Amino acid sequence: MSTVADKPAAITSRFDPRYEITLYRHVGVDGAHTLEHYRARGGYRAAEKALTEMTPTQVIDEVKASGLRGRGGAGFPAGLKWSFMPPIDGRQRFIVCNADESEPGSFKDRYLMEDDPHQLIEGMLIAGWAIQATIGVLYVRGEYYVAYERMRDAIAEARAAGLLGRGVFATEPDGEGDEATPASPGFDFDIILHRGAGAYICGEETALMNSFEGLRANPRLKPPFPAQAGVYGLPTTINNVESFCSVVHIVERGGAWYASMGTDDSKGTKLYQLSGPVARPGVYEMPMGATFRELIYDLGGGPTEPAKALIPGGSSTPLLPWSDETLDLPMDYGTMARVGSMLGTGGVIVIPESQCMVDAMANVVRFYAHESCGKCTPCREGVATWLPKMYQKLLAGLGTRDDLTLMEEMVRNLRGTAFCPLADACAMPVAASFQHFRNEYEHLVDHGAPKYPTVSRWAE
Amino acid sequence: MDLPTLKPFFEDKPELLQEILDRYPPNGRRSALMPLMWEVQRAERHIGEARLHEIAEIVGVTVTEAKGVMSFYSTFHEHPVGRFHLQVCRTLSCKLAGGDELYRALVEETGLVSGETDAEGTFSLQNVECLGSCGTGPVLQVNDTYHERVTRTRLAELFAEMRAGREPVPTRERGGDNVSADKAERVDAPDGTSVDAPDGTSVDAPDGTSDEEGGVA
Ligand SMILES: Cc1cc2nc3c(=O)[nH]c(=O)nc-3n(C[C@H](O)[C@H](O)[C@H](O)COP(=O)(O)O)c2cc1C
Ligand code: FES
Repeated sequence: MSTVADKPAAITSRFDPRYEITLYRHVGVDGAHTLEHYRARGGYRAAEKALTEMTPTQVIDEVKASGLRGRGGAGFPAGLKWSFMPPIDGRQRFIVCNADESEPGSFKDRYLMEDDPHQLIEGMLIAGWAIQATIGVLYVRGEYYVAYERMRDAIAEARAAGLLGRGVFATEPDGEGDEATPASPGFDFDIILHRGAGAYICGEETALMNSFEGLRANPRLKPPFPAQAGVYGLPTTINNVESFCSVVHIVERGGAWYASMGTDDSKGTKLYQLSGPVARPGVYEMPMGATFRELIYDLGGGPTEPAKALIPGGSSTPLLPWSDETLDLPMDYGTMARVGSMLGTGGVIVIPESQCMVDAMANVVRFYAHESCGKCTPCREGVATWLPKMYQKLLAGLGTRDDLTLMEEMVRNLRGTAFCPLADACAMPVAASFQHFRNEYEHLVDHGAPKYPTVSRWAE
Repeated sequence: MDLPTLKPFFEDKPELLQEILDRYPPNGRRSALMPLMWEVQRAERHIGEARLHEIAEIVGVTVTEAKGVMSFYSTFHEHPVGRFHLQVCRTLSCKLAGGDELYRALVEETGLVSGETDAEGTFSLQNVECLGSCGTGPVLQVNDTYHERVTRTRLAELFAEMRAGREPVPTRERGGDNVSADKAERVDAPDGTSVDAPDGTSVDAPDGTSDEEGGVA
């Protein structure tokens, strides 16, 4: 209710003159992945500030003040998560970076690692200091080979420059008498780079930890949460690549600066990803709360053919029908929840009018079916077996109206019953497609053929 | 009877083996399982039974456990893949950019369907799920390399290279904010003042608007 008169309005548009590209500043620039390039542009100054001028608690407080919410999909407040770590008790602590990025429609972390690996290292170093973890684990999905090589080389460079390893930012005693600052031993911190091998479920945080430990990547029961028992059963905090990169700038410029961008419940600057038939697909950095219209039209150049729906944040987020109201929605956590969807990873997929919705959803379902780990019954039987079979039946023109009712019921029953959120990730978009495009399902079962036959989409 | 035996893979690579084992804390030896598998697979294009035994022994787990881990991950192969392992993304964004047609063209070109390797061991074809390159679809991964925005013409060029026995060079596809020419940069000069990067301060974005970027200094 309170509007402070002299408080400047928050930045919620990329075209606001006060807005600056931050996370993505070096991406796309040749040679930006080197330490030399990064340091020449102020790189590692934020880490030096955190490690030499701030206590771990102060860093956590700054991140809390920034309002940063985790960028891996769930949007959990990062500072709050860090404060869940148990008191220091002599056990090894871990900071883990989730770079398994495999949610369809998401492709931001890859470019951050390929073109600006030091930004991520710096973010992990700061986070390690904040939670007093001396080992960082960077889990990169197996297919990201360029990113893996870039991170490997950048870690080696950072080690050689004393930015990783023993006594990072150690100082000699300085001055005399009252002015003297004592010597500081610096902070011991190093990063283990680990490659995955092609499994979406490894993005789920506890599955990732199992995978890192050399086990099958089945999710673990929570609680205990990672802060209590994470990597090797030891206290662990896990965040997404973009979350760590954001922390660098929060420390450098202050939580208040970060919080000057965005809406009530979603602060800062974010990487949105745009794919589907639009003129200029790609990753665009925008302040939180920018609208779909700004992303799709002003930056992306608009759809190249009439559109009927958009998926707001990766294929697990329920689609929204294409309309002026939808396009004018701010892309933030609260708004997406209010309209029955989720911001997820911010991976926006535009679905054209000419694309059969049943066929599109069959594709989404096949993805989750393929990626189900098979651990729990609802997901193994429902997601991995039944749903794809039902879609096969529909697309073969053999479905009935009863099948549609059955599918809707199945999807309802799947919700919240599986061991991990993967089953929901499949059920939610299917439910939304029934809610908004049941007519296409009905057309298909009534006529034995889709309302929109397959068209060629491949460029010469 | 003398059975032919395979020389252990890591026998003549003690430094590499040690380097991999040393990455992990002493209580985490098992974490070396996947990195060791990666080494073998990169060299031999699959992880054979004998290698699996060797890795299991190094790490200190049973062969069944190692096999259980290996079979969980879709990019570890039990049988050798061809010299060119063609992995085509079939997920939604690529589908909307022609991924299905790209797959069919690959089937026609190679005579294989997903999961197969030709008799000569030149090509393997595999449908894979989202490769995290959805803005530049359709995507074809050849061995470790992504080829993005693979048009019909580009595909023909790729095959010309591969049939000549050469690893095709990817064109680095960009989009959105990854287009470096549109980005202004400021460099901190050695004396601490800010100077404009040689590539200009402010270049018009594709839509005619201008992105001013401040240095962090
Ligand atoms: C099935 C599944 C897949 C996930 N995949 C990813 C992923 O690829 N990358 C990621 O950062 N988070 C992923 N997450 C979310 C993580 O479990 C975790 O919440 C996140 O890494 C925490 O980081 P954040 O707080 O910085 O967002 C996934 C979650 C689930 C349930
Ligand atoms: S859908 Fe093909 S790379 Fe994401």
